Amino acid sequence: MKLLMITLFIVSSWTIASEPHNHDGHSDMMHHSHEGHLHNELVDGEKLEVNPDRFDKFVSNLSNAQVAVISVKGMVCDFCARGIEKTFQKDKLVKKIDVDLAKGKVLLAYDKDIQIVFEDIQNKILANGINAIKMQILVI
Amino acid sequence: MGIYRYILFFILASANIEARPISYSGGSTLMMFSDNMKDSLYYHYSPSYKYSVGIENLKDKNLRDDYSYLRFTYLINRKNNVHSQRNLYFQSGLSNKSSNHFFYGIHGDWETRRWFLGFDTKKVENRVKNYKQNHLQIGFAPYLGEYGDIHTWLMLKTKKTSIKDKRSLYPVLKFFKGNTLLEFGYNNKTEWDIHLMYRF
Repeated sequence: MKLLMITLFIVSSWTIASEPHNHDGHSDMMHHSHEGHLHNELVDGEKLEVNPDRFDKFVSNLSNAQVAVISVKGMVCDFCARGIEKTFQKDKLVKKIDVDLAKGKVLLAYDKDIQIVFEDIQNKILANGINAIKMQILVI
Repeated sequence: MGIYRYILFFILASANIEARPISYSGGSTLMMFSDNMKDSLYYHYSPSYKYSVGIENLKDKNLRDDYSYLRFTYLINRKNNVHSQRNLYFQSGLSNKSSNHFFYGIHGDWETRRWFLGFDTKKVENRVKNYKQNHLQIGFAPYLGEYGDIHTWLMLKTKKTSIKDKRSLYPVLKFFKGNTLLEFGYNNKTEWDIHLMYRF
């Protein structure tokens, strides 16, 4: 019996430790890490494909925020990306913007309580002639 | 000789200012081009990513003639992929000197972060002699810069006109960082081309 209790304790502890952290009660799309390497975290079952150094620098001074990682098509040069940056600089809800050219991502930081609307982001990016195809959200 | 120089001037004026013919919605672009024959200043505004309108002022250093083009560029088709973009544009210009002086044509390009391929075909009608021009360009980025870095392109341009059935080929070095693009081209006949572009 004692052995069974110990086994159950170890198995249950291991299971809990294996589950993703979700501190805010939001959907499964929102996870975050305590290890300072958010780019390694799974989001909605997928790994984030971002430049780790760039991403860590982007989130380094953010708190109580959420980051929308937007996958885009057609952003092949700095000029394309600069138009996107300028567009979102006019959006007062966006706290911070960065672009990962190599991975084809646009990073947008919002306050944690903001409802991010992908369609709105898609339209803003399309105004630059670029297609936004996917959004992943991380809570910081 | 004078006529040929005049025609050559038109060819150059229309061949070196085609990069990024449309900006993002609400964006403006200022382009300057200079060589031993002329100076060109072209400003365009893009109400949408699909078209731009602009004015190009030209100064002919040899013929001492100044005039302007009212220009219109339209994005006919764009195909975006994860690592590439393909574009097809219609472009046109109408001179302030005469309604019989204008150009129109098609410009297409395909690019990745590493490679660039472009073509341009246009017809120019003016009071001296009408002509057609074809233009091809291939570019290679020796390194892939991150956003905000200085980006460098090594390019080759080739041009052929219906006036001189002869193709010219010359290298072009292009740099851009932030909102600024700087391009140098060298041709043993036309000497240095310098192209500066700034996007607002």
